[in-house]
Amino acid sequence: MTLVPTRSLASGPLLPARRGAALRRPAAVALVAVMVVLIVATVDPEESGHYPTCPFLALTGHWCPGCGSLRAIHALAHGQVATAASRNVLTVAALPLLGWLWLRWVGRSWRGEPRPQPARPVLVWALLALVLVFWLVRNLSVGAALAP
Amino acid sequence: MSDEGSATPDPYQPPKDPPEGTGPPWEQPASGQPTYGQPPTGQPPYGQPAYGQPTYGGEPPPNYLVWAILSTIFCCLPLGIASIVFAAQVNSKWSAGDVAGAQDASRKAKQFAIWSAVAGAIIVAIYLVVVVVAVTSNS
Repeated sequence: MTLVPTRSLASGPLLPARRGAALRRPAAVALVAVMVVLIVATVDPEESGHYPTCPFLALTGHWCPGCGSLRAIHALAHGQVATAASRNVLTVAALPLLGWLWLRWVGRSWRGEPRPQPARPVLVWALLALVLVFWLVRNLSVGAALAP
Repeated sequence: MSDEGSATPDPYQPPKDPPEGTGPPWEQPASGQPTYGQPPTGQPPYGQPAYGQPTYGGEPPPNYLVWAILSTIFCCLPLGIASIVFAAQVNSKWSAGDVAGAQDASRKAKQFAIWSAVAGAIIVAIYLVVVVVAVTSNS
């Protein structure tokens, strides 16, 4: 995204105290994320009974777009990228996106900038389409490779 | 979908070319020196925002897209799908100049984020109760 006038108008240099307060929320999110990854890495989701079954899978017998995400995170935490991608490739693709959004959030908080102009709507609608197509295809016989 | 506003990252595009020497308006204001009420000469007045620019200097409402992605990945459907729909509506309506609509979609996106978290917590709680009951009844 290019700069918009709101950013330079509304932002200003932050005092160190306010900067620390602004970074508190991204830090809390990172702490929670690290704890979740540590739990999922330690308590193996490949073994049944460790985590509740996906409610959609339990009710319908079909995979949801998130099925396999715990196993994917577990595999990633153990450095097994190929296994992770075979469990849920969408999760593996989403993690760098989430990390990038988090880094952007940290930078914005550090500089004391307001929320930037929203991303192009077509990108968010494309994300919705991607999730829906992924949901459908991984339940078809042709898309068995995308099933967890 | 209208390309106006969504395709142009700089919605404050003046309808006509600025006079020579003034430069684009987005390079004018220096940090810490708000220039509200002092539009550079030759620029469109603030009271007449171009289509695609809801309010000059207004902060867009949050779309909670990260929460939508998280609830999709961590399986509280169909809440995750609905969250993505409302997140997309926030961006679409904001770029179309519909400030009230964008704020309404943002409020709904927030509600769905909360409901996803609550639903996830309830599912985990029910699961734990079932496991505890199963273990105690077996022993």
